Amino acid sequence: MKLAMNMIREYADIPVSPKEYESRMIMSGTAVEGVDDISGGIEKVVVGRVLTCEDVEGTHLHQCTVDVGGEEPLHIVCGAPNVKPGVLVPVALDGSKLPGGIKIKKGKLRGMVSEGMLCAATELKVPQELYPSVGDEGLLIFNEDYPVGSDVRPILGIDDYAVDFEILANRPDCLSAIGIARETAAALGTTFKAPDTSVVEAGGNINDEVSVRVDDYEGCPRYAARVIKNVRIAPSPMWMRKYLHAAGLRSINNIVDITNYIMLEYGHPMHAFDLSKVRGRQIIVRRAAEGEKLTTLDGVERDLRTADLVICDAEAPTGFAGIMGGEESEITEATTEVMFECASFDRTSIRLSGRAHGMRTDASGRFERGVCAATVMEALDRACHLVNELNAGDVVSGCIDLYPNPKPQQTIVADPERIRIRAGVQIPDQAMLDILTKLNFEVEMADGKIIAKVPAYREDLDGEADICEECLRMYGYEHIGATPLHGLTTQGGVSPMKAMKNRIGKILQGLSYLEIMNFSFVGVKEIAKLELPQDDWRMDPMPIRNPLGEDTAVMRPTLVGSMCKTLSYNMNHATEAANLYEMAAVFDHHNLTEEGLPTETQTLCMGSYGEDADFFSVRTAVEAVLRAFGIQCEVEAGGEVYHHPGRCAKLVRGRQVFAVIGEVHPTVRENFDMPKRAVIAEVNLQQLLEMGKPMGEMKPLPRFPAMSRDLALVMKETVLVGPLMADMRKAAGNLLENIEMFDVYRGAQIGEGNKSVAFSLTFRAADRTLIDEEVQKAVDKVMKVCAEKYEANIRG
Amino acid sequence: MAIVDTLREITQRVENELKATDTSAALDALRVTVLGKKGELTALLKGMGQLAPEERPKVGAQINEVREHLTNLMADRETAIKKAEREAALKAETIDVTEPRKLPRVGSAHPITLVMDELIECFSGLGFEVMEGPEVELDHYNFELMNLPKNHPARDAQDTFYMDDNIVLRTHTSPMQARAMLTRKPPIRIICPGRVYRADELDATHSPVFHQMEGLVVDENMSMSDLRGTLEAFAKKLYGNDVSTRFRPSFFPFTEPSAEVDLTCTACHGKGCRICKDTGWVEVLGCGMVNPKVLEMCGIDSTKYSGFAFGIGLERIAMKRFGITDLRMLYEGDARLLSQLR
Repeated sequence: MKLAMNMIREYADIPVSPKEYESRMIMSGTAVEGVDDISGGIEKVVVGRVLTCEDVEGTHLHQCTVDVGGEEPLHIVCGAPNVKPGVLVPVALDGSKLPGGIKIKKGKLRGMVSEGMLCAATELKVPQELYPSVGDEGLLIFNEDYPVGSDVRPILGIDDYAVDFEILANRPDCLSAIGIARETAAALGTTFKAPDTSVVEAGGNINDEVSVRVDDYEGCPRYAARVIKNVRIAPSPMWMRKYLHAAGLRSINNIVDITNYIMLEYGHPMHAFDLSKVRGRQIIVRRAAEGEKLTTLDGVERDLRTADLVICDAEAPTGFAGIMGGEESEITEATTEVMFECASFDRTSIRLSGRAHGMRTDASGRFERGVCAATVMEALDRACHLVNELNAGDVVSGCIDLYPNPKPQQTIVADPERIRIRAGVQIPDQAMLDILTKLNFEVEMADGKIIAKVPAYREDLDGEADICEECLRMYGYEHIGATPLHGLTTQGGVSPMKAMKNRIGKILQGLSYLEIMNFSFVGVKEIAKLELPQDDWRMDPMPIRNPLGEDTAVMRPTLVGSMCKTLSYNMNHATEAANLYEMAAVFDHHNLTEEGLPTETQTLCMGSYGEDADFFSVRTAVEAVLRAFGIQCEVEAGGEVYHHPGRCAKLVRGRQVFAVIGEVHPTVRENFDMPKRAVIAEVNLQQLLEMGKPMGEMKPLPRFPAMSRDLALVMKETVLVGPLMADMRKAAGNLLENIEMFDVYRGAQIGEGNKSVAFSLTFRAADRTLIDEEVQKAVDKVMKVCAEKYEANIRG
Repeated sequence: MAIVDTLREITQRVENELKATDTSAALDALRVTVLGKKGELTALLKGMGQLAPEERPKVGAQINEVREHLTNLMADRETAIKKAEREAALKAETIDVTEPRKLPRVGSAHPITLVMDELIECFSGLGFEVMEGPEVELDHYNFELMNLPKNHPARDAQDTFYMDDNIVLRTHTSPMQARAMLTRKPPIRIICPGRVYRADELDATHSPVFHQMEGLVVDENMSMSDLRGTLEAFAKKLYGNDVSTRFRPSFFPFTEPSAEVDLTCTACHGKGCRICKDTGWVEVLGCGMVNPKVLEMCGIDSTKYSGFAFGIGLERIAMKRFGITDLRMLYEGDARLLSQLR
């Protein structure tokens, strides 16, 4: 919210610089986004009178002498068509500044000395609504007489600062000049001066002019109205236009400007009706009936909901209460009688109507945040005071004020000692009382407690903690000390899941993997790119009701889609090779928790491509991760549909699948625009956390020597080495310490469709040195199972 | 020739030959010729049978003397040759250590993880325990227990993603305060790092997904100065001892009093610069004393216990720390960017 600093000064002195003011307000709890010089930084631009003006032959230029109040007139070259002797114009002197940081210096133009510049309105950036005669073209020519040499800024209404306040959600009372002025007075120790609300009534009786009925006091706790006759529509005075302009509001005419001015001044949105257009001269506030329609000021016809609070005349709804008026009763040049409405509407009702119809106005924004019912009448009287002051019409005697259930004044009892403990600052009792008084509370001390009567407009306060904050912010947050934490010692540390993630991160980083983070929501299309069957649960992920867009509409049921997207991005951005990983939750709303929330499973996803990347490099990396938690798995062929069917596997132990690894299926690669082959792995971290053992144990090293035997077995290509080795292990018995595959050979010598696989078997006993015979026995058993079950025989 | 003369001749010849011997092989050959089983000295010993018995001990002693002398000489020579040979071999193996090679790729954690881990380390040293919770959260925890009832205008400030009327994507890590208070007894000291969501379009400074770290302490007689002491300890650990904090009044429905906390701008050390917009301060977090209403709603006796809470935005710290100018860089997963981290 922007306010002219001079407008705030109408109600509270500001005896400090704009910069100091900004900082004092911020430190007392009113955030300031910035303070702008409304003149745009104009310096040394003064009123000057053109004395002589001669055309320069062959150009559009004029050579002028200009009186700016100095001893000698200035020689200035000017190109404007409307320059002529006798006019008063703004003159930028040597060394002056114009908006946008432009500097004007004495110089030469076509050999002629020019000691400054005569300015156009566009050069001074003066808006037409502030100074209507500025025109669009040529020099700004003043329409009244001003002393030469005087500063142009006050004349043009731009000698002010606009302060941009950021009002916190709990302080709707500060969305107004008087609210800000009250805070200003309290923060700077100056005095708050309330606006003049006295009204000179011109006779008659409002009840003869209009009747008001409120059918729903829940939606409209208070409704007040006053009537103006003999309305004289005219432009508003300069001071009002200036303040409206600084706040970003356009000046329309005196009546409309008064309602906007009251909104700025009191924070009360008002509405002005052309009373002659109000059918039956009656206003009814009620909920809309089924099937009713309303055309709002923006020309849109809207179907009303029965929950919408509407303002009606005797026949039909004419406006949305607190949001937007109707077309029919709009103020025009021809308006002669006006009814001012000042009311308080239920903020939830306004909010829901605004949402439902996609309308948000300055007024509805204020009602949603809360407009105080108690000050409605004061604001309405102030409006009528301004009607008097601007001579905009005659105020009919009397007012309508429907407020059957006034809110009682709130009293808070607070313990100053508890306030001091909470604040951590030794604020003396008297200082608390002084601060609260400055903030308009009525306070007294009784039994060592502060009894504080809360001002009506402070609907945000309801307990001791609030009183603590009021006292502390005005006493000064800078008094808060810094004490080390006291109390019982607690054990800090990471959660088991975080500890596991840390460990995995370290392992993968050592293997050259980079961590990535993707959004938790994706598009359905991205999941579909994985070619999952329609009945796969992942094809029905949890939808967000109000997503930003199609691409971010569902909670991801797998990290693979995001990983493919990231791999594709890197492949298409000149990265030859990359190993990436992400650890994040996947969401399953088909499995709900006890609380009814979707299951969130922390998952590791790895993706790898490039010269050194293949199925095995990723599988071994995953195995290394699992090994770190004591999980040793068998490799089982087969994976997901998005994998290359011949290059994918699961790492299983018993019935549990710990990881799925596979090269990305060519179709999926095409879907994601992945020009290179890539391998992807997924690990369920929740399961790993439950099953894994975080720390290994150290066994003493063996004391007796090992014996090893190498076997080269010829077998069909279709034999899977993993299961074969599992059987070899079983057959070898207890003496087998380790078995490794160290070579695979394919060639004519062993026949088409065959492979020769070489294994190294290590045998050892913990308590003795083995003898050849017992080792040979074990090897025989191994060869037997290989021959019988796999037709794998010693290469001969 | 007398044996004595022969011995002198052998000694002289071998001494000369040794000087010219410069390989192990030549030395071995010489050793065999002179000292071997069929060598010259052995032959002389064998020939002693022809001498008179009384001469034998004397001549024997002379031969052994020469043998010992030559053995020593050869051993010395051997040491010298071995040394020269080793040096030659090493010289032959010299490589050009200045030749460039491709560096091994080393991975890295994500900038957000790096910052998160740094913060966790800071706070766990102060006795805070990490607690994690759901990202898809009940409205009840995210808003209602945080003193933001339905239709509260402050809800608008947090553009919320809804799954349905009762389930949201958590807009802050604050619901973990409620979860902690409902499941633990004071003293409570927890931190809750994690992803949070707001319906903001992605641009250089906004992201619909970002990270926060919530902190909560509930104990007897907690105060704003305990809060400040805790945050200063964290700030100094993270940014060094010359950093201090500035508290500004603010508003959060779940804390009272509330504050925004600024840290001394580390770019200009508080003198004022472009980064801190000439204020000398950079805003890093929001905090306050837990609103007694929140304590009560979460089953904590607010007359006995008080507490404080804070929420730190990790993206802001990461951007500052790593000089990241555009938030989108964090979520693109560009290996060229990520691999610059150490």
